[in-house]
Amino acid sequence: MAKPVSFHLKKELKNNFFDYLLLITAGIFFLILLNIFRGQRVIEFIVLVSFAFFYIIWGVYHHIINETFHLKTVIEYILIAFIIIFLLKIIILP
Amino acid sequence: MEKVKNFIHHLFIPHEENNFRAKSLHTDFLTVYLVIAFLMTMVFKQGNFRNVLGFATDISADKLYQLVNEQRQKNNLPSLVLNSSLSLAAQKKAENMFQENYWSHYSPDGKTPWDFILGTGYKYEYAGENLAKNFLFSNGVVDAWMNSTAGHRENILKKEYTEVGYAIVNGILNGEQTTLVVQLFGTPLAGSFVPKLVQAEEVSAPLQILAQKTFQPKINAFNLTFNFNVIFMAFLLLALALDFYFASKFNIIRIAGKNTAHFLFIIFILMGLFISTIGTII
Repeated sequence: MAKPVSFHLKKELKNNFFDYLLLITAGIFFLILLNIFRGQRVIEFIVLVSFAFFYIIWGVYHHIINETFHLKTVIEYILIAFIIIFLLKIIILP
Repeated sequence: MEKVKNFIHHLFIPHEENNFRAKSLHTDFLTVYLVIAFLMTMVFKQGNFRNVLGFATDISADKLYQLVNEQRQKNNLPSLVLNSSLSLAAQKKAENMFQENYWSHYSPDGKTPWDFILGTGYKYEYAGENLAKNFLFSNGVVDAWMNSTAGHRENILKKEYTEVGYAIVNGILNGEQTTLVVQLFGTPLAGSFVPKLVQAEEVSAPLQILAQKTFQPKINAFNLTFNFNVIFMAFLLLALALDFYFASKFNIIRIAGKNTAHFLFIIFILMGLFISTIGTII
């Protein structure tokens, strides 16, 4: 019998508790920094780019630790991070 | 119809034909999204859309005027009347802030908000000023003023004020592309020269031409881009959620990035996007 999706999600989070804790902490830190520097567009953009780069590094680290490292996965993280950077640049630094 | 169904299936649901990964999350598709995002950035930069008023923000004098009067009506206060002299004074104040590069109620050489008001020939009994910068939406500006404990709310709800003027001006402040909002309140001095008033109901009529010509957006490219960003991120979240759901359901094991991580990243970015819509007030 197939297990529910929540089981897979819990398993994923439980097995990689430290990794996700790190990502969520960085995310909260990102939001706090944005809030502190809100209205200062250049700093907001630097904070965004820093978080995006952290995310790529997190992806590489996570997959190395899990022994699932592959160039394709790294490219996926880089692409998603850069899509977000370009899209938000239009909003933050038009 | 069957083709559309197959296409959506191929786009969102991992199966053999898309190598057990939703096609919308494949690196080739992600590359296409990246190219589109890059081209959009270039088009707005090269096309100099940032200089088209209304691109950098979606703030308008009309909307501010309407929202502030709604707040006054909620508090059983009479609506403020838009005054062209106060709008002109607000415009002069904003221009002066860019010229002298300051973010304050008082200029470095000592000019006060009252100097700008009096400079237009408006003699007042009471006057006040609210400033805001780098907000992306009109309601964000009014919400921030209403939530302020530094006198902005008091200004908006001050029963003595009868008139208001607005300026929304884009420029470079402290080396940054900035959208300044200047709101000036006034009560004309009894018996003094009273400048021509514009009734609230007549705001969109010719007497507001100055405000419309100077501050109103020609192209609402900002709103379009903001909505596109939100929709695109929602699309990515949907694709990630569906891919995760079906991959879990069918016990698919594959080499790919972690959907949970992508999902969290995009959620944080969306939250950040909404935080960045909030500017600062003084």
